Amino acid sequence: MNRVVLVERLVPNLYRLVVEAPEVAASARAGQFVMVIPDGKGERIPINLADWDKEKGTVDLVFLNLGVSTRKLASLKPGDRVEGIAGPLGRAPEIPAATEVLLVGGCYGVGGLYPLARELKQAGVRVIFLAEARSRAYLYWQERLKKFSDLFLTVFRSDCLGPAQELRELIKKIKSGHPDLSLVLVMGCSYLLFKVSEATADIQLKTLVSLNPIMVDGTGMCGACRVSVASKTYFACVDGPWFEGHGLDWKEYFNRRKAFLSQEEQALVRLDREFWKRTE
Amino acid sequence: MSGKDRLESGQAERLRKAREMDWRKVLRREISVQNRLTRPRHNMPEQPVANRVRNFLEVNLGYTLELARAEARRCLDCGQPGCVAGCPVAIDIPTFIKYIEAGELDRALEKIRETNGLPAICGRVCPQEVQCERACNLVQAGKEPVAIGHLERFVADYLCTRESTGPLPTESRGAEPGKCKVAVVGSGPGGLTAAADLARLGYQVTVFEALHLPGGVLAYGIPEFRLPRAILQSEINFIRALGVEIKTNFIVGRTASLDDLKQAGYLAFFLGTGAGLPSFMNIPGENLLGVYSANEYLTRVNLMKGFRFPEFDTPVPRARRVAVIGGGNVAMDAVRTALRLGASQAVIYYRRSRAEMPARAEEIKHAEEEGIEFNFLTVPVRFLGNERGQLRGMVLQRLALGEVDASGRPRPVPIPGSEFEVEVDLAVVAIGQSPNPLLIKQLPLKLGPWGNIEVDYQTMATGLEGVYAGGDAVRGGATVILAMGDGRTAARSIDFYLSRKKD
Ligand SMILES: Cc1cc2nc3c(=O)[nH]c(=O)nc-3n(C[C@H](O)[C@H](O)[C@H](O)COP(=O)(O)OP(=O)(O)OC[C@H]3O[C@@H](n4cnc5c(N)ncnc54)[C@H](O)[C@@H]3O)c2cc1C
Ligand SMILES: Cc1cc2nc3c(=O)[nH]c(=O)nc-3n(C[C@H](O)[C@H](O)[C@H](O)COP(=O)(O)OP(=O)(O)OC[C@H]3O[C@@H](n4cnc5c(N)ncnc54)[C@H](O)[C@@H]3O)c2cc1C
Ligand code: SF4
Ligand code: FES
Repeated sequence: MNRVVLVERLVPNLYRLVVEAPEVAASARAGQFVMVIPDGKGERIPINLADWDKEKGTVDLVFLNLGVSTRKLASLKPGDRVEGIAGPLGRAPEIPAATEVLLVGGCYGVGGLYPLARELKQAGVRVIFLAEARSRAYLYWQERLKKFSDLFLTVFRSDCLGPAQELRELIKKIKSGHPDLSLVLVMGCSYLLFKVSEATADIQLKTLVSLNPIMVDGTGMCGACRVSVASKTYFACVDGPWFEGHGLDWKEYFNRRKAFLSQEEQALVRLDREFWKRTE
Repeated sequence: MSGKDRLESGQAERLRKAREMDWRKVLRREISVQNRLTRPRHNMPEQPVANRVRNFLEVNLGYTLELARAEARRCLDCGQPGCVAGCPVAIDIPTFIKYIEAGELDRALEKIRETNGLPAICGRVCPQEVQCERACNLVQAGKEPVAIGHLERFVADYLCTRESTGPLPTESRGAEPGKCKVAVVGSGPGGLTAAADLARLGYQVTVFEALHLPGGVLAYGIPEFRLPRAILQSEINFIRALGVEIKTNFIVGRTASLDDLKQAGYLAFFLGTGAGLPSFMNIPGENLLGVYSANEYLTRVNLMKGFRFPEFDTPVPRARRVAVIGGGNVAMDAVRTALRLGASQAVIYYRRSRAEMPARAEEIKHAEEEGIEFNFLTVPVRFLGNERGQLRGMVLQRLALGEVDASGRPRPVPIPGSEFEVEVDLAVVAIGQSPNPLLIKQLPLKLGPWGNIEVDYQTMATGLEGVYAGGDAVRGGATVILAMGDGRTAARSIDFYLSRKKD
C-alpha cells in the first residue's frame, strides 16, 4: 500500500499523482516506468516516472484520464492509499554519445520525458524539446521543461497531426537548423510515436519511441506486451519500452492495443454508473 | 525423479523405529493384511460435472473424517514402504497414515510438516501417480495404491479449518536476535519453504516478490478450481507467523540489485525466481489478437481475478472456440479455464500421444469428464487472421511417433502433406516456460542450456558465494514438491554456510 501525497489536475484531461514509493525513488532512472494497482480489485497499469524525490521517497506520475484505472487514480485524495506500485521497470533508453537530442512529448509524454530532459541537459547534451498538445490549454510543465532545454517548441494538433506532411516539414526544419541533432526520443500517444517515426525515417534520423502496449505483469512473465521489430518479437516491458521507431511493425502494434476495447468500455460504463449512484 | 536412492540410511532407521512403536503394532494386529487388501480405494468426492464446468469452485470436495479413516485402513504399514522412497522429500507416509487410522490428526499433520511445509498444497497438486502412489506396495499386490495425496490434503485441511490449531509450538519461535539477515527472492513454493525453514532456525528472513501477491505459480498459474486461494492464504499466514517478512511489488534486479541488498546487510540469498518466461512457437501469426501465452491467460484469470470481470477491472478474453496447445498441467489448466469462461469448444492440441502427456493423471481425468476434446499428434504451423488482425483459425500438421529422443519419449515427426485447417477464436500457447532472465542475467552465474541456474544439487549452492538457488529457476519447469525440496536443502546449506562464516 502506498500513500498518496498529492493529486493535481494539470490540464482538463491530465493529472499528476505524487505517491510514496521510497524504494522505487531510490533506484529510478529516466525513461523507466512503474506498474500501478489502484485498488484491491484493480488492474496493473504501466505509467512512466515523470519525476521522483529520493529524500522524500516519492514518485510523480502524469497520466491521461482515460478508462477505469486512470479514473480511479484521478479520484484519489491526499492520504488515500493505492494498492501497489512496482518498479522501476523497463530499461532506460540507450543513448549513444550525442551532442544534441530532440525530445518530442505529447499528452502524458510531456511529463514523462521531463527526467530525460533533465538528465541529458545535466550531462551536457543540447536539448530541444517539442511539446505536442491538442491546443494551448492542454500544455503543462513548460517552465520546468524550459529549465532543462536549450530550445523549447510547441506544436498543436490542429497545426500538424492532421496532415502528417506538416509534422514532417517541422522536423526537417529542426534538423536542418541543428545539423548536430542525431537522436530523437518520443513519448506520448501511439499516433504521435508513429507520425514522428515516419517523419524521421525520411531523413534517416535515429528515433527511439517509448511504446505503450497492453501489459499485465510488467516483469517479462506474460508476453502481453509483445511487439515486433524487424520480424523479431520482443517483450516491451523488459526489452523496452524504448525501441527504434523505424523497424517496428506498427500495424501489429496498433492492432494489439485494441485487444480489450469492448471490455474496457463495459468496465468504464459500470464505474460511471456506480459513481453516479454514489453521488445521487 | 523417484527418491529411492535418496533415502538416507538414517531415514530408514527412523522409519523402522517408528514402526516398532506399540501403538503401531496394535493397529497392525487389529486388521489383518488379508482384510486390508480386500478394501477398495475410496474415491474423492467431486463437484458434479454439470455444475463445475460453469464455476471456479474446487472440483475435489475432500474426504470426510470417515472416508479418510477408512482409506487409512487400506494401508498395510509396510516394513519396506515403497511410498516413502517414491516421495521426493521422503515424508514418513506410513506414520502419518497410521495416525489418521488412530484418529490422531494433530500428530499426523506434525509428522507431515517435519518434511513438507505446504501439505494442503502438495496434497492437491503433486503428481502422486508417478511418486508415492506409484511406489505403494499395494500396486505390486495388484491393487490400487493408497490415496496418499487425498489423505495428505485431508489432514492439512481438517486442521486448518479448526480454530484451535495455530502454528505448531516448536515452530513459532520467530527470529532470534543476533542471527543474520537472509534474503529470499521469489515467493513460489521454493522460496516460501526456504524462508520458513530459515525462520525456524532463527534467521531474519525477508522474501522479495515481484508481483503484488505472494505464492508464485500457486498464485498466478494454478486455477482456483484446483487450489482455492484461501488454502494458499492460510499457508502464507502460517509462514508469516514464523516471523518471515514478505515484501511484494519488489523486483530484485530493478527495485534493488542483489548488491544493494548485500549493502543493506543481507548475508545470504536464495534465488527462487521460477521459470516465468513463456515460450512461443515462433510461427506466423502468433502475435495476432486472440493468441495468448498460457501465463497471460492464467494470470488474468487467477492473479487478477479476471473471471469476475467487471467486478474486478482486469478483462479476460472469452471466446466460443478455444484451442490450447500443449499437454502439461499448464495446458490442462488453461483449457478447463476456457470451458468455465463459457467456451462451447475447448480443445487440446498436443504433439505427442496421450501416454506422453506430462499433466497429472487426475487433471487429465477431470478434463476428459468435463468434455475437453483432445487432439494428439498435431501441431500448429500457422495462425490465420481476418482483415482486422483477429485470430480466425489455425493450420495444423499431423505427426507420427518416431524414435525415442533425449527426453526418453518417442520423437514426433511431421507427416508431409498432412496440413489441415480449423476455425478458432482464441488460442492459448502452453508449450513451456524457461527461467525468468531478469535477475539471473545480471549476476555472474553459471547457466545451463535453457538459461537455468547451475547448482550443486547436494547443497543448491551456485558458483557465487552465499548465493543458493532452487525450484524452476534451476530445473526449468518442474514441480511444486521439487521446488520445496530445493528450498529445504538450500536453507540447511545457508545455515551451515552462515554458522561457519561466524567462526
Ligand atoms: C511503458 C508504458 C508507459 C506508460 N506511461 C503512461 C503514463 O505515463 N501516463 C499515462 O497516462 N499512460 C501511460 N501509459 C498508458 C497507460 O498504461 C494506459 O493509458 C492505461 O493502462 C489506461 O488504463 P485505463 O484502465 O484507465 O484505461 P482502459 O480501460 O485500458 O482504456 C480506456 C479507454 O480508452 C480506450 N482505448 C484504449 N486503448 C485504445 C486504443 N488503442 N485506441 C483507441 N481507444 C483506446 C478504451 O476503449 C477505453 O474506453 C503507459 C503505457 C506503457 C506501456
Ligand atoms: C499453470 C501451472 C500449473 C502447474 N501445475 C502443477 C501441478 O499440478 N503440480 C506440480 O507439482 N507443479 C505444477 N506446476 C509447476 C509448479 O508450479 C512449479 O514447478 C513451481 O511453482 C516452481 O516453484 P518455484 O518456487 O521455483 O517458483 P514459482 O512458483 O515460479 O515462483 C517464482 C516467483 O518468483 C518471482 N520472481 C521472479 N523473479 C523475481 C525477481 N527478480 N524479484 C522478485 N521476485 C521474482 C515471481 O514473480 C514468482 O512469484 C504448474 C505450473 C504452472 C505454470
Ligand atoms: S507402500 Fe502403500 S501400503 Fe505400504 S506403507 Fe506406504 S502407503 Fe501404506
Ligand atoms: S507485461 Fe507481461 S511480459 Fe511484458
